[in-house]
Amino acid sequence: MKSVAENYRYIGKAMPRMDGQEIVTGKTAFLDDLKFHNLLIGKVLRSPHPHAMIKRIDTSKAEQLKGVKAIITHETAPDWKGGLPPIRLLDRKVRYVGDVVALIAAETERIADQAKRLINVEYEILPAVFDDYEAMKPGAIQLYDDLPGNILPLGSDEISGATWATEIVTGDVEKGFAEADAIIEGGFAYDNIPNPISIESPAAVALWEEPDKVTLWVSNHKVWNNKRLLSPIFGDKVQIRIIGGACGGSYGAKAMSWQVQCYAAALSKATGQPVKVIFSKEEQLGCFILRPATRLNAKVGMQKDGTVTAVAGSWLVGTGYYSRTTQIQIAVGCGEAMIAVRCNNWNVKPSIVCTNRNASGIVRGFGGQELKCALIPLLSLAMEKLSLDPFEVLKKNFVKPGDGYFWRNAAWYNYRGIDYSRAMDEGAKTFGWKEKWKGWLKPTAVEGTKHIGVGVGVHGNADVGEDMSEAYVRIDNDGRVVVISGLTEHGTGQRSNVVKAVAEVLQLPLEFISITPGDTLVTPVEWGPAGSRGTYAILGAAISAADDAKKKLFQLAAPMLGTDNFEDLETADGIIWLKSDPEKRIDWKKVLKFRTVIGHGRFDEDFSLSNCMMSFVELQVDTETGKIDLLRVVNATDVGKVIDPHGLEGQLNGCLGSAGIDSAIFEETILDPTTGCILNTNLIDYKWRTSAELPVIENVVLETPIDSHRFHALGIGEISTSPGPSAVLMAASNAIGQWLHEYPVTPERVLKTLGKSMEKKQGGSL
Amino acid sequence: MTRQEKKFSGSALEGKHHINLTVNGQLYELAIGTGAGKVNPSDTLSFTLRETLGLTGTKVSCDSGACGGCTVIMDGRAVLSCMLLSIECDEKEITTIEGLKNPKTGELDPLQQSFIDHTAFQCGFCTPGMIMSSKALLNDNPSPTEEEVKEALSGNFCRCISHYQIVRAVMAVSGKGK
Amino acid sequence: MRSFTHFDAYSIEDTCTALGQYKGRAQLKAGGSDLLSILKGDFLPDYPEVIINIKTIPGLDYIKEDGDFLRIGALVRLIEMVRSPLLSHKYSVLVKAAHTVASPQIRNVATLGGNLCQDTRCWYYRYPRSMGGPLQCLRKGSGSCLAVKGDNRYHAIMGGKKCFAVCPSDMAVALACLDGRLIIAGPRGERNVAVADFFYPLGNDLAEDEMITEIEIPARRNPAQQNFLKFTLRKPIDFAIVSVASVISIEKGVCTDARIVLGAVAPFPVRVRAAEELLIGKPVSEEIVMSAADEALAGSKPLSKNAYKVQIAKTLVKRAVMGSTD
Repeated sequence: MKSVAENYRYIGKAMPRMDGQEIVTGKTAFLDDLKFHNLLIGKVLRSPHPHAMIKRIDTSKAEQLKGVKAIITHETAPDWKGGLPPIRLLDRKVRYVGDVVALIAAETERIADQAKRLINVEYEILPAVFDDYEAMKPGAIQLYDDLPGNILPLGSDEISGATWATEIVTGDVEKGFAEADAIIEGGFAYDNIPNPISIESPAAVALWEEPDKVTLWVSNHKVWNNKRLLSPIFGDKVQIRIIGGACGGSYGAKAMSWQVQCYAAALSKATGQPVKVIFSKEEQLGCFILRPATRLNAKVGMQKDGTVTAVAGSWLVGTGYYSRTTQIQIAVGCGEAMIAVRCNNWNVKPSIVCTNRNASGIVRGFGGQELKCALIPLLSLAMEKLSLDPFEVLKKNFVKPGDGYFWRNAAWYNYRGIDYSRAMDEGAKTFGWKEKWKGWLKPTAVEGTKHIGVGVGVHGNADVGEDMSEAYVRIDNDGRVVVISGLTEHGTGQRSNVVKAVAEVLQLPLEFISITPGDTLVTPVEWGPAGSRGTYAILGAAISAADDAKKKLFQLAAPMLGTDNFEDLETADGIIWLKSDPEKRIDWKKVLKFRTVIGHGRFDEDFSLSNCMMSFVELQVDTETGKIDLLRVVNATDVGKVIDPHGLEGQLNGCLGSAGIDSAIFEETILDPTTGCILNTNLIDYKWRTSAELPVIENVVLETPIDSHRFHALGIGEISTSPGPSAVLMAASNAIGQWLHEYPVTPERVLKTLGKSMEKKQGGSL
Repeated sequence: MTRQEKKFSGSALEGKHHINLTVNGQLYELAIGTGAGKVNPSDTLSFTLRETLGLTGTKVSCDSGACGGCTVIMDGRAVLSCMLLSIECDEKEITTIEGLKNPKTGELDPLQQSFIDHTAFQCGFCTPGMIMSSKALLNDNPSPTEEEVKEALSGNFCRCISHYQIVRAVMAVSGKGK
Repeated sequence: MRSFTHFDAYSIEDTCTALGQYKGRAQLKAGGSDLLSILKGDFLPDYPEVIINIKTIPGLDYIKEDGDFLRIGALVRLIEMVRSPLLSHKYSVLVKAAHTVASPQIRNVATLGGNLCQDTRCWYYRYPRSMGGPLQCLRKGSGSCLAVKGDNRYHAIMGGKKCFAVCPSDMAVALACLDGRLIIAGPRGERNVAVADFFYPLGNDLAEDEMITEIEIPARRNPAQQNFLKFTLRKPIDFAIVSVASVISIEKGVCTDARIVLGAVAPFPVRVRAAEELLIGKPVSEEIVMSAADEALAGSKPLSKNAYKVQIAKTLVKRAVMGSTD
């Protein structure tokens, strides 16, 4: 990593994570490690049918079981609704295999499971639809009475009342195509609906205190957002407190934990006792958030110099049985397409369709990764036609200072960030792109049946400055500092970074600073980590709060030091002195005596900056077996200023996991088209990368100061999964000399494309 | 064992009434049965450790032997505590993440310190399992190669992708265990 | 997991007697890696009333050469096979196969007998109760095989009969290649059965009151060239998509003996004798080996989504015979 010489005490230095000691000793309390008095275990009975009406449900036998405290069905459930269309927490109609049928609270898990088996349900089975195109056809099965064609409206979000971009329409595409040297029309899909699968399952503990107070202990990274989501579901009368703790991974998905939380809340409301609901891995894989499915059918125009003259087409997004955030993901995805592809003429029309499968929602990459995984391959076909180097074309087309884009709120933003070309060049140099790139559909090297291919992808996101953050910095009269923040830790090390930033501003030893738990009762509003916003937004609010606290401290100290010129004051290690006369100094403790000062900081959204990551991949295809081995990944980015080198490396290495690069190699959720069951709801059949097969990863990180906050830093973590999948598709196509069109690139698909797996079905007589 | 045909007598098998479990050097005598503090025959070791003994450092994720989150060391070997029945762990010696600290000085095991020094975790949920798998390897082979470390950790799921930093952390203490 | 009664067994006799008394309501448990995942998934029609722990039976964990036979106790753990100098020296196909099974933690507890007796990985068969399952199919007593019309990418390309699940055991493939036989104890005495004949499309050859006690393999004079190749999407953890075990003797460039067994292509390990015959007496050239590979898969009848396994199996046969390691 290259560093601009700056004299920071903490920023940019590798330091132990604040929570490191607890993590390595097993003391970190994740949700399931918390102890509660009188805790009940909540379980979910799930539907065996992809589409059915519950005709009759008999819970009487289960209720008689000793230790069963409550059973809730659609008949007895509170009328809580969420999402689009607004779905009831428990509905008479079930819409996917695994949909909720009943909730059980019991003294032990074993009793709850036994009760599940005693519930008798009679269904009226309805025909189901699993394919996104089929669901849109006239006469298709309808999931909802009031959702003709299973098509969801775009742009609206009933919860926030916000308006979201619904399309990319600008310029004149006909004119753009007329100016093009090559026009490509085609379709690519990224519809293998991978699952980010945090290791800690989605979970919640709820305690409902009548009549209208509920406390939720959650396992996610966005406690305030959580409160905002639950508030309209429970109604304004209900006082909600969310307590966050260590979160065992999310990658976005756990922000959508409203259902598991409502299950716990409903059961607690019914029993008056705290109730814990933890999804099993099977439930997480079969009933929790998947990536949205993308199918892009579009036409692109390109000139000989790589200028993209027009993009027009339709973007179909499959969201499963309902949507909670897909509208927003489309809005962000559209903006991210404009950031990565500087083009004056766009006409891309998205639509969202519902089918009888588990729902899609937030996953790292948030709409943009999905669209990019289809759009870059399409642009690649044009590049091939014009014999253009994809690295050069992607570099040229990434947003530059002076450009702009429509962002998620459909407003135009002039980009005021840096030119990422230098980071891309450095990445290409480290990777050896010039030497390895042999032209389209040409392998870099061939040794026997092993064909090496290279590919490149890029991604950028202006959500680095999304939404709001607030923090208080409290300086106590013992000279210690408490950061009051609604931030919980989910792996990025951001809580440590907040402490670091405050320590930097106040020039205090780290051990003098602590940070509150993420608890909505005691902290100011904090949107939480999302879209790489932590570095700019969350740290931004903390820096402002520390500044504000310092200012207030100086106001108290100035008269004691006989000055009214605050500019002349300096502080470090709990001492304030006059710059003009350093002998004049005073201890914080003396300044504060019997008081504390509290500084407030706030960050308001700013979409005029974007981060950027380019990923280069090198892989090997065995042309006799179709097996792909990922050999090497080079990630190139410019983060303005590194806050925490170890944390940054972890985030960038995260390009492989959580439905990232590997969603192009072996990660997929396998939905059985005959039963609607997700067949691989276990960690053997759902493929994830193991330590035995790690490619070489090199991260090229530049530090060109960015106009964010005083440390000139911008976050990157969220997007590290995004440039890789399309790069893999490109590399594999180059390796075998033929275009591959589908994710993931399984042995079956490689062999089929190579014409080596042509046998017709012969077996299977029953 | 002889190869000839045998007649079987019909003596009934007997169930256990209690088990002796040594966890982190402490002996626990646990009765078999239902109710608080007892071990149900279908209780897994991970359940007994977490719920009966309160040792929540051992994490359960997939609960079916495919993620390594619940790895503990039993009689010197890394095993998955979610896939063992506690009733079958009678007389076994078990080390969990809580047992790695030096009990006298309270000092961290060098491997734990190395995990901190290398920030060999992100969310930290897989970390106890990772450390226990690594510890079992180091006990068996104090100077593993990088390939051996990767192989030893190949059953441990980490979605954040902290593997690179983990391997570095383990390699930093490799060769120093002698 | 649902409750059950638990017994420790101390003798083969008592175990079989108890199995007989419980008439199918008791299950044997060794390492338990497969059994516990079945019990937790709760997808079978019957849940066992009794679990009999057989790890407590003394003396079933040996690996020894005994005159004309190599004998391996059913309770030998896979890790012990991986580390056995005797096996490494003369029966390396077993070591290679054992090393590919699951993960290090599983190999530390999983036994050879358990590996052979594990149930199929068919994802319809194993679809969990907690997710709206189980799914009914022929293997569970009624209905038809759901894989035929569904997603059968990992299912059988040969030998399926009404059920197209494949035998998941890697060890079975390697043992079949060494002409291994299973010693089975039961109230009617002891019998033995060839490993390849132990597996049926709907299960295995064990009666409800029998157990495997030992695996017996004809002792090898020379190790020959032994190979085990397993094709998976990932190296560790995965069950085979296709595997091949081979033992090839070559003298002066000519193949004098050949044994080739395919795994994960059928409900049982498939010894491909026609391919072996094609090799014996011929020089080991790429061309001859290719034709042997074609011959090995000549009888394959892929389903709608698994024709790729045919190509992979051919490649693996070729590579195994040629002594390749990947």
